[in-house]
Amino acid sequence: MCRHSENLRDYAFDELPAGERLAVEQHLAACGECSLELDRLRLTAAALRALPDREIPQRIAFVSDKVFEPSLAARLWNSAARLGFASACVLAAALVVLAYHRPMQTVAVPAPVSLNQDVSRQVNEAVAKAAAQIRIEDAKMTEAALAEHDKQYRAQMVDMEESLIVLQKHFNNYTMLASSDVPRSGAGQ
Amino acid sequence: MIFRAVEDADLISRVRHGDVEAYNLLVSRWEKRVFNYLLRLCGSPDDALDLSQDAFLKAYQNIRKLDDPARFGPWLYRIAHNEAYSLFRKRRPETALRSLSSDELGPERDRAPGFPMDLSLAVTAALDRLNPEQREAVVLKIYEGFKFDEMAEVIGCPVSTVKSRLYTALDLLKAELAPVNKR
Repeated sequence: MCRHSENLRDYAFDELPAGERLAVEQHLAACGECSLELDRLRLTAAALRALPDREIPQRIAFVSDKVFEPSLAARLWNSAARLGFASACVLAAALVVLAYHRPMQTVAVPAPVSLNQDVSRQVNEAVAKAAAQIRIEDAKMTEAALAEHDKQYRAQMVDMEESLIVLQKHFNNYTMLASSDVPRSGAGQ
Repeated sequence: MIFRAVEDADLISRVRHGDVEAYNLLVSRWEKRVFNYLLRLCGSPDDALDLSQDAFLKAYQNIRKLDDPARFGPWLYRIAHNEAYSLFRKRRPETALRSLSSDELGPERDRAPGFPMDLSLAVTAALDRLNPEQREAVVLKIYEGFKFDEMAEVIGCPVSTVKSRLYTALDLLKAELAPVNKR
């Protein structure tokens, strides 16, 4: 075997420094035995490489390990915050889906409108009833006040008539006395 | 390759900060190669899968001990190598270092569609005749493309030993596969 056989193998696997590679290439140009040996080596490596890799029957993955304790922020993000964020996203998506896929059902059900109208009608009725009651009460109070006032007025009128009668009597008396006093004064002269 | 190495280093940095998903991404990059390395070493897909899982778990648990993230590949294969040899010793202490027979190697002879059957059988049979150290040297060099210094790191021996094992194995394989190569 040629003395260059060791370097020749290293050369075949690209494990030689640049300077030594050049020396081997120069030797190969002149040595038929080493050229043949290099061809056999490359052919053997090619035959071996032709054997294909197999696919792994089951993927390997890890969930967590206590050896590497995550930071507080990472723990928060990986637990509650991310869960909350995911829940909010799911809820928002559900609302959007409902809003876009069930509009007719929402419009077709008049329950809120009917309810509002009913409540409004009941309120209006109650207000009207209360107003009517108030008006009745006011009318009663006004009638009572007027009756009381009329009663007082009639009583005052009676008192005034009685006073006028008394004054008339006094006037008549004075008139009778005055007429009787006039002759009595003329006969005395 | 350099960009990929930087990416692996970045993933390793994230794993060291507790990012499990970064490690899963790292695993997805390497799992097929590690599985095939172990399959060619031990011959059983079930054992290769179990050993792969154990290797990746140990790598995850010890990733802070990895000094140079750029050397993640050899470091990972070193763990896989240790797992495989631990299994060999556990199962067959007296034959841990001898070549496994064709019967023991079992289903590695399942072939991919389109691959020539005679060449496939010849290559598999030739690899089976190597002892485990020689076969591992061939697998690391031919199939995994490691440099000699990386192979030495994986196997845990000097570069000279690695080269000796590889070249002895190639001499044997060259003789075994010569009739096939001539076709």
